[in-house]
Amino acid sequence: MENINTNTKNVFKIKNLNLSYGSKSALQNISMDIPKNQITALIGPSGCGKSTLLRTLNRMNDLIDNCKIKGDIRYEDNDIFEKDYDVIGLRTNVGMVFQKPNPFPMSIFDNIAYGPRCQGIKNKKTLQEIVEKSLKNAALYDEVKDRLRDSAKELSGGQQQRLCIARAIAMEPDVILMDEPTSALDPIATAKIEDLILELKEKYTIVIVTHNMQQAARISDNTAFLLMGDLIEYDKTDIIFSQPSKEKTEEYITGRFG
Amino acid sequence: MKKNNRFIRDRIYQILISLVSLIGLVILIAVFGYVIKNGSHLLSWDLLTGDYYSEVYDAYYDGNPVTGSEFVAPSNLDNETYFSTRWGIALKDDLDVEGHHYILVVYVDINSPLASLPDKNEEGNYVSVTSGQELGKIIFIDEGYNIMNPTDGAENAIQMFDENSDIYNIILTTSGKGIRGSLITTVYLIVMTLIIALPIGVLTAIYLHEFASKTNKIVGILRRMIEMLTGVPSIIYGLLGAAVFIPFVSSISNADGGSLISGALTLAVIILPVIISSTEETLKTIPDEYRQASLALGATKSQTTFKVILKSAIPGILSAILLSIGRIIGESAALIYAIGTAIKDEIIITERSTSLAVHIWSVMSGETPNFELASAISIIILVVVLLMNLTVKLAVKRISR
Amino acid sequence: MALSLKNSINIKKKNRIIDKITRGGLLIPTILSASFVILIVFFVSMRGVSPFLNSQYGELSVDFIRFISGTTWYISPNIYGIFYIIINTLYVVILAALLAVPVSIFTALFIAKMTPRLISGFFKTVVELLAAVPSIVFGVFGLGVITGIVKNIAELFGTQTAGGISTLSTVIVLAIMIIPTITLLAVTAINAVEKDLEENSLALGATKMQTLFKVTLVKSKSGIFAGIILGIGRALGEATAVSMVAGNSGTGPNFNIFNTTRTLTSTMLLGLKETTGLDYDIRFSVGIVLIVLIILTNLILNFAKKKIGRFS
Repeated sequence: MENINTNTKNVFKIKNLNLSYGSKSALQNISMDIPKNQITALIGPSGCGKSTLLRTLNRMNDLIDNCKIKGDIRYEDNDIFEKDYDVIGLRTNVGMVFQKPNPFPMSIFDNIAYGPRCQGIKNKKTLQEIVEKSLKNAALYDEVKDRLRDSAKELSGGQQQRLCIARAIAMEPDVILMDEPTSALDPIATAKIEDLILELKEKYTIVIVTHNMQQAARISDNTAFLLMGDLIEYDKTDIIFSQPSKEKTEEYITGRFG
Repeated sequence: MKKNNRFIRDRIYQILISLVSLIGLVILIAVFGYVIKNGSHLLSWDLLTGDYYSEVYDAYYDGNPVTGSEFVAPSNLDNETYFSTRWGIALKDDLDVEGHHYILVVYVDINSPLASLPDKNEEGNYVSVTSGQELGKIIFIDEGYNIMNPTDGAENAIQMFDENSDIYNIILTTSGKGIRGSLITTVYLIVMTLIIALPIGVLTAIYLHEFASKTNKIVGILRRMIEMLTGVPSIIYGLLGAAVFIPFVSSISNADGGSLISGALTLAVIILPVIISSTEETLKTIPDEYRQASLALGATKSQTTFKVILKSAIPGILSAILLSIGRIIGESAALIYAIGTAIKDEIIITERSTSLAVHIWSVMSGETPNFELASAISIIILVVVLLMNLTVKLAVKRISR
Repeated sequence: MALSLKNSINIKKKNRIIDKITRGGLLIPTILSASFVILIVFFVSMRGVSPFLNSQYGELSVDFIRFISGTTWYISPNIYGIFYIIINTLYVVILAALLAVPVSIFTALFIAKMTPRLISGFFKTVVELLAAVPSIVFGVFGLGVITGIVKNIAELFGTQTAGGISTLSTVIVLAIMIIPTITLLAVTAINAVEKDLEENSLALGATKMQTLFKVTLVKSKSGIFAGIILGIGRALGEATAVSMVAGNSGTGPNFNIFNTTRTLTSTMLLGLKETTGLDYDIRFSVGIVLIVLIILTNLILNFAKKKIGRFS
């Protein structure tokens, strides 16, 4: 089950992952591989551990004090929990887009240039190019090209979320993790982001947590269904939504609980 | 290489920030350390209860010549204390707060002829030599006049006491530099200020939170005006005291110029915003169900407020009182204007005297600042102020839990 | 039944009247509390204007233009000048702020973001206690310790000081006194920054310090600036401790940090002997200038705050 694409390369290889906050277990014995240049969706009811799993992939759970992790995650065949592992490097390769669009309190330009600047890029022309390219890739350039120096807070919610995607793209990552990126947006903005995600698939590996099963069905190649910290089923999206092998999965996708 | 640089820079910043944050701790320790080092040896019951001004007595001995040596030294005298068996007095060399040598009276036997000597300046008045006094010049008579100077030291003085049978003249100085007057003044100021400010502040908070309409423009203006009080520096309050309260108190009482009353009025204005905001903060935490429950039982809004709400607001009012006490004890600039800087031993509320803080100002602003006394008083002030603040902090923590 | 109904209506009426009386009664202390600001402005102004009016002091009235532009405090019998005092006050306060702001921001970052809760609680308590130490105690500490340090520093530079009583001592004492104010407000402002925003930065591969400086501080700058405004207001009005270490120079302005200085508040507090007459009343005039200076500074800084807070 854990390996569903034998013919593609896997970016992440997760083996026997257990995670707990203090004494409360959040993930149990998760094993799954995430194939390159595909969209993998994590679905399940609230509190099932899908966001926790996502945040483990770029080690954002490090920030939580009493978080304990056992098991093994390999990114490009390197163990990310190894003692001297370069977490900052991991995060530059694995970008993340959060649930709530959250631009930094600075101009649109500075928001996009933030990551590259943190890496030490100072050349104005280089930054200009990066910003332009990222905004174009995030399908935002035409809407904001005349006001790059304005505060990012002045953008609409959907634009802000695309800005956050552009900000992640600016780092030229291999993987983009998305944590319910459309849950705070209206349907029109959501549709735009979904189109964008499908476009981004060409270049990036995308892992998306979503609460919205239609969304998972629409855009993802593979879907993993989690329940109470267990990985119930993981397969091609069309299989999960047409003939799930587990009863729980079927109950969930047909809307009987959740 | 680049990555390494970033980590090193990160570490440097981390260390820098941690070091800089120590500055606050270092200052606090330095302030405490300084006042304790300079002032703690002065802290004593005598300091707290003694007069600030020393008094000089001029006396003589009028009884029969003292010839016997029947007095016995008490057993608790140390090596540096000398005892006269003829006169029943124990003396010791000491340093005063300004560092001058003097002879200190350590002990006088109750049956000693020195326990009651006629005052040379006021007939019929008797002076008693008691422990704690400073011994001045003594003129003994035996086979002639023998003079003891205070610079001779305690050992020589005792020798002369033992050798002479009569005293023609003895000069005694009661020890000064006590802070009883300022201590009493401070207590008076705290009590009077709270009596004035507490009702006004609490009632204002009740009006603003329970009765006033939230949208009324005039209420908004009143509120802004009260909030503005917090930004006024204390020296400006001093000017208010001097320009308004001193003339006011003078016109209604026999006070002439600054007095404890004008000081208390000024302090009352200073702590008013503290009391109002602290009370209002607690009123905010009282759930509306309380009010509704009381109103539903048929109580009027007034009854609800004064019987139910006010009772629940007591913790907030208490913490306001503690904070106010801290503020009153620490206040100096305002009181320098609103009362004055004259240290007094006899405290009358229509006259001037100094609080502990202004007492420090007075002893520090002279030609030769008295760091030791100032430090000793600072210890008292710091301990009280910090206790008040910590109590409030702990209480707030407990209530919010 | 009818009777009790009527009774209850009567009671209701009575209750409404009682409530009205209470409301009216409570309005009195409220108006009294609010009136003190007006009392301050009105009476301090009255007294402070009197030295400039002929009617009060006749021949001895003070020339206002010379007062506001003068570079010598007092020339007998009736010439006062405070221009240099205003400049020196601002100079001292600006230097104190320059010293206090970085220390405060670093301390706040440390308390809010960099230590486990127990240590951060301890350091916060330390800052709160420092905030509670009265001015007079800082004055004793300033005169007893800081002037000594400054004296030694001056000797290192080969200059003499008046026993360490100097601009630098004043600046240090003031900085110490406003650090707690700025720090505590900065802690509140930094704690108010959404965790999300910081996670966004970390997820972009920024280090912890880059996140703190480029995102957390930028986001909280408005709140931190409010703390700085409050601190500067305190510094301008601080009297007792400043008076003990400033030295009250008779002329100026003086920008040498090892020379004595004179602030508006030290002018008001020092040399106070008589409680009537021109030399006393002129201190009220200085008081008015102080109030105006504080209000102006506040307005300017608040304007600046709006500009700074543009993006957040």
